[in-house]
Amino acid sequence: MKKSIRYVLLVALALIIGYNSVYFKKLDEVKAGAGKTFDAAGYANTYFYKELPAETAKAPDIDKLIPLLKTDTANTFKTYGHALAIGTVKYFLIKGSGAVNNIDDNGLTVSTTAGNSIVLGTSYVYGNAVRDASGLVDVNKFSNTMDLNNISAEVDKIIRNKILLPVMPQIKKGSRVEFTGAIALNQAHLQLDGIEVTPVSLKIAQ
Amino acid sequence: MLFIAIIAVACHNSPQASQPKKVAVIVSTLNNPWFVFLAQTAAAEAKKMGYETKIFDSQNNTALEADNFENAIVSGYNAILFNPTDANGSIVNVTKAKTAGVPVFCMDREVNSTTVATSQILSDSYSGCVEMGKYFVQTLHKKGKYVELLGIVADNNTWARSKGFHSVVDDYPGLQMVAQQSADFDRNKGLEVLESILQAHPDIDAVFCGNDAMAMGAYQALAAAGKANHVKVFGFDGAEDVIGYVKDGKISATAMQFPKVMAQTAAKYADEYFKGKRTFPQKIPVAVELVTAKNVNDYMAYGKK
Repeated sequence: MKKSIRYVLLVALALIIGYNSVYFKKLDEVKAGAGKTFDAAGYANTYFYKELPAETAKAPDIDKLIPLLKTDTANTFKTYGHALAIGTVKYFLIKGSGAVNNIDDNGLTVSTTAGNSIVLGTSYVYGNAVRDASGLVDVNKFSNTMDLNNISAEVDKIIRNKILLPVMPQIKKGSRVEFTGAIALNQAHLQLDGIEVTPVSLKIAQ
Repeated sequence: MLFIAIIAVACHNSPQASQPKKVAVIVSTLNNPWFVFLAQTAAAEAKKMGYETKIFDSQNNTALEADNFENAIVSGYNAILFNPTDANGSIVNVTKAKTAGVPVFCMDREVNSTTVATSQILSDSYSGCVEMGKYFVQTLHKKGKYVELLGIVADNNTWARSKGFHSVVDDYPGLQMVAQQSADFDRNKGLEVLESILQAHPDIDAVFCGNDAMAMGAYQALAAAGKANHVKVFGFDGAEDVIGYVKDGKISATAMQFPKVMAQTAAKYADEYFKGKRTFPQKIPVAVELVTAKNVNDYMAYGKK
């Protein structure tokens, strides 16, 4: 009797070990896993709609940032500027409002509330400004630089298609607009005239 | 006191303690001034930090590069600042160094692995060419026929530049690429290839070149064909002669790379590694800046004024 119990236990043990030692998976699932690529569009979507709004909400007004850049350049770059790449170009998140003075191939020339002339670059939305300006994207988390390039491309695509396309036909010369966005500045050759803003949001002021 | 004296003598006799650490600079070629500048700057920076340095020339040959790695490891070099000859072919050499416990810091060109080099400090060619693409579209007013001269087809930079450029330009259907051909990053080949393309497409409006050497060759071909005033040429690198040509209005734009920044960063990382740091970004981009007639006076060969 004792012997038979021992055999039953041994068989049960062998079955448990055997069951847990072998796994079956569908071949197409394995292939899909092996060729898994970074989902830049998904990343960009989360970044743009879920993470970025909190950062743009606390971004400085461009009319406050420009005087700071003139009087305390180094500290302002350190406090507000971000960039993934090593170099002297940094990106800044800003917000602002003003009147549209001109509309041309480069975008909207806007005179801000404090009288600064900036260009809302609505025609050529390409590059890393919006990806980098928040400081949220960490270069150390990416081993493939192409993934980072694709994030920029997808973020810019959202801005072109979802943000600018619906609002641009309504904007005319003289319209008052409110915007958030990102700007690129080179600390080595600081140029504050006609700063180009890559829009993150753009609406006609009520 | 006796104990301290013994320790002092022991330290004095120890080769590890008395000799400075050695840093090897292994560069793809010394037959191109850009890479000479990169290698010499890396060696000078490491020397400035107190390390013994030596430059090894791989002459664009992966087999010779393998010999250079072998020599560096056997000769007791403690770190390698490396500019690879081949993104895939160089992996085995970096792996050899890693196995021997020698950290490798890639400069400018990458290897297609994220596990063998300690860090890779790379020109952000893609983003540089996105900016170039924007300027290209604006300069041509969104329409015209153009030619693209590619670099060495096995080099990742060739495709990073081409992809960055096309990520913008391909959104404008009025811009038509009539020919895309490799000229191996070489000035003479750039001249020959464009001469031949001009036979079939005499009515082009622009040439986008993956580096400045090809841009110089392309400009020469256009000047010989009497088309230099009409056809716009765009380069990439920030080489001395092209900076001059941008100033003179002969070349529309180039993208400035910063070999000095890459070399300094690689030497700094090696220094930090010797001092115990072990966590480095696997691939860190170095910004590339667009140089046009508007801002050319801010720049000089291989960097900013």
